[in-house]
Amino acid sequence: MTAASAGTPSQSALGGPTPAVDPTRGRIEVRGLTKRFGRFTAVDHLDLDVVPGRITGFLGPNGAGKTTTLRMLLGLIRPTAGTATIEGRRYHDIPNPLTVVGSALEATNFHPGRSGRNHLRVLADAAGIDRRRVDEMLELVGIPAAASKRAGGYSMGMRQRLGLAGALLGDPRVIILDEPANGLDPDGIRWLRGFLRHLASEGRTLLISSHLLSEVEQTVDDVVIIANGKRVAQGTVDELRGDPTAFVRTSDPDRLASTLAGRGLSVARRDGGLRVTTNDLAMVGDLAHAADIAIHELRSEKTHLEELYFTLTDQDQYRNRNLGDAEGTGPGGPVDRELGQLPPPTGRPVERPQPPDPDGASGETGRDGTTVGDSAPTRTARQENGS
Amino acid sequence: MSKAIKAEFRKFFTTRLWWGMLIAIVVAGAALAALFALLFTSDTVMRGDGMGVPTSDADLARTAFTSGIGVGYLLTLAIGVMTVGAEYRHKTITATFLAEPKRSVVMGAKTILLLVVGAMYGAASLLASVATGAAILSSRGHEPFADPEIWRTLALSLLVLGLWALIGLGVGILIPNQVAALLIAVGVAWIVEPIVGAVLPLSEIGGSIARYLPSQATNATLDIQTVGFGGPVTDQLPWWGGALVLTGYAVVMALIGTLRTVRSDIS
Repeated sequence: MTAASAGTPSQSALGGPTPAVDPTRGRIEVRGLTKRFGRFTAVDHLDLDVVPGRITGFLGPNGAGKTTTLRMLLGLIRPTAGTATIEGRRYHDIPNPLTVVGSALEATNFHPGRSGRNHLRVLADAAGIDRRRVDEMLELVGIPAAASKRAGGYSMGMRQRLGLAGALLGDPRVIILDEPANGLDPDGIRWLRGFLRHLASEGRTLLISSHLLSEVEQTVDDVVIIANGKRVAQGTVDELRGDPTAFVRTSDPDRLASTLAGRGLSVARRDGGLRVTTNDLAMVGDLAHAADIAIHELRSEKTHLEELYFTLTDQDQYRNRNLGDAEGTGPGGPVDRELGQLPPPTGRPVERPQPPDPDGASGETGRDGTTVGDSAPTRTARQENGS
Repeated sequence: MSKAIKAEFRKFFTTRLWWGMLIAIVVAGAALAALFALLFTSDTVMRGDGMGVPTSDADLARTAFTSGIGVGYLLTLAIGVMTVGAEYRHKTITATFLAEPKRSVVMGAKTILLLVVGAMYGAASLLASVATGAAILSSRGHEPFADPEIWRTLALSLLVLGLWALIGLGVGILIPNQVAALLIAVGVAWIVEPIVGAVLPLSEIGGSIARYLPSQATNATLDIQTVGFGGPVTDQLPWWGGALVLTGYAVVMALIGTLRTVRSDIS
């Protein structure tokens, strides 16, 4: 509440003049979005929210329906059911859409005989954008030298950059990129991260799809994960990542458990060992040593997000449905069971790893020491089990 | 709409297609005009009484000047196919529809582009064939512009090339594979349809149908005598009738293409 709006409560109560900022500004809203191609359901009652000023990662294995979803959002594919709106409007209804929504779908969408600059000029013409902006964008994405060469000779990384330049041409509030890191070298990916972060810091909305968690995990604020056309999880990266856990195997689990619990750490038994909610392996080792308990194994575990995504991508039924026949992946099938077995993440957002300092780490004990159990449903609300 | 048209023109003139086609059409226009002008003014042909051979100065000029149009309309047909075929092949249609989601506007812009480009190529082709043909005819003692109606023929050939490009536009959308679309469009227009047109007049009913075929409508528009297996076709459509029939083909093909494009999923 700003002072101005607080000072005139009667106005807003009457619903008179619209507020200065449109509440739908920069927002993407997807509701019940469904697409069937014949008997194949590519996208299945998908709900999705993307808000401005943040980078939202749209994750899923290849063939999960990401591209189909984005294409429906951009009015290229007609949904079978449901709605997909940007700032409250369907893409089709946005006047001069390139100035509101910028998107780059596939890095191959260029005429091989047309130069990168001319490709952008065509877009600029179509959207009535000043052509000076074309050279600015080429400069911005770092391919001014290649601009007059034909796009057919571009490397994958240059195509990605050209696609990005096209997306930014209209200075859009909403930016949608499909697999933007594909084909970029490590330097390019680092550059892209900084670039996307900068765009988000300007208050823009970014929706970035990827099939690789590692590629976007450090880049995005929010995550939406889909598999087989259905949403599997949505939340902030911190929420989905959960508290870091360590796994420790020992000769005397009972004594170690009580020792660790005595230091305020939450401990649970698992697979003949203990799972400790901490990222400080040194402290666990030191405590065991001090208590004269032998340790047979001590390692960091995957975060909940990693494990969730690993489950999705590692198993046959989530592999690319476009590649083979997807019989046996019935609704309510193994997807839901597997996800149900995953440990829910606990606790509030975590800071990144701290220097190994037993005292500092033990400061964490003030946290609500929820035990990481097999069925604690603290976060399962975020894991939609289909329906 | 004007933005979409501007974008379409930039698209067309930023690949090598346009000048490759321009060279082809100018060379074909000049070479065929020279060939026919020399052939029909040669002593052998002039002395003979072959069917369909032009004898008057007006007919000579018309034959020489429009001789390149037959190749020209095949080329603009190909341009029409590629205007949309290349967009689907290289998936630039995605960017096109993202910039202008109203697909009928895009198709309208492409229609205008093709009519203008057709006329432009027509002008280039005529320039080449009229210059060559007129030079040869006058050097052989014939009057190239004896009949003022030749100007109507020349003007209409600009329209004809644009209309064939629109037919190509429809074909390019109906046959999604660009290479197949090109082969089929040119194959049908160049070989199949003229043969059908030549065979049909052998029967009486066939003859009345044949004059509505695209190539014969084109000939009628340009006042070119169509010759079939049964001899010169006598009941050709009047020039305005031919123009209307050909426009009909173009409108139908462009409309079918537009309707399909508006409804289809782009993936």
